[in-house]
Amino acid sequence: MPSLRDIEVGSEIPALTRLVTAEDVKAYADAGGDQNPLHQDEAVARAAGFPGIVAHGMFTMGHLAACISRWAGGADRVRRLTAQFRAPVFMGDEIVARARVKAVDADRGVAVVECWVTVERDGQTEWPIKRGEAEVLLEP
Amino acid sequence: MHEAVAGKAYPAVPFRIDPGRVAAFREVFHQVVGVPTTFVTAAEFTVIPDIVTDPELGIDFSRVLHGSQEYEYRRPLREGEDLTIMSRIESIRSMGSNAFLVLVTELAEPGGDVVCTARSTLIERAAE
Repeated sequence: MPSLRDIEVGSEIPALTRLVTAEDVKAYADAGGDQNPLHQDEAVARAAGFPGIVAHGMFTMGHLAACISRWAGGADRVRRLTAQFRAPVFMGDEIVARARVKAVDADRGVAVVECWVTVERDGQTEWPIKRGEAEVLLEP
Repeated sequence: MHEAVAGKAYPAVPFRIDPGRVAAFREVFHQVVGVPTTFVTAAEFTVIPDIVTDPELGIDFSRVLHGSQEYEYRRPLREGEDLTIMSRIESIRSMGSNAFLVLVTELAEPGGDVVCTARSTLIERAAE
């Protein structure tokens, strides 16, 4: 896990990739409690103007949180997490969570990281999560 | 949406950090230990059904998108602990044909100390 002694501003944390499936999104709906049919029913998603089922923004944010927690040495070390949802995620998409150390607050023993989630679709990079930020407790 | 409802607080609701539910949440995100950072969404979705059907607010949830989300912890959540959900509408503002609602959900200990604050921005898109 990252420590105050050797953390470097500007360094990237290991990326975390995930293939999004309808089965996993349904499992998320059951665990998280958001049963909006937009995230489960093809016909509802199409009626709303999407090409297919849309993953919950919180599914994507949960994946980003998992990426940061893994680097931090556990979810208990993530003290703050923010995200802006900028693009939909569809079934079959491969989402990639990334983060970079933006600042270190030695007095409080925390690192501030900027974080985001991208997906490559039709040769274009889209940003399901942009301008996210997390605060992670560091080892002394 | 009725902007005059900004500031409204909703009745407190008990919320247990249910170990089985935490385990299911961890499994979805391939995590091994701890309470996942975004688990508090389960508390938010405990109160959201009452808020989106509040006639004073008058929101059309079928036109709602999730704009942004924040979680801030004073300490990690503990599996099995009993907390209280306190939610309120922090602000409502219109921008163009969309309306932005900021919902604040706090999880508090029995003594009243807030453990985690969640802030959700919901965007109600214009009707077609």
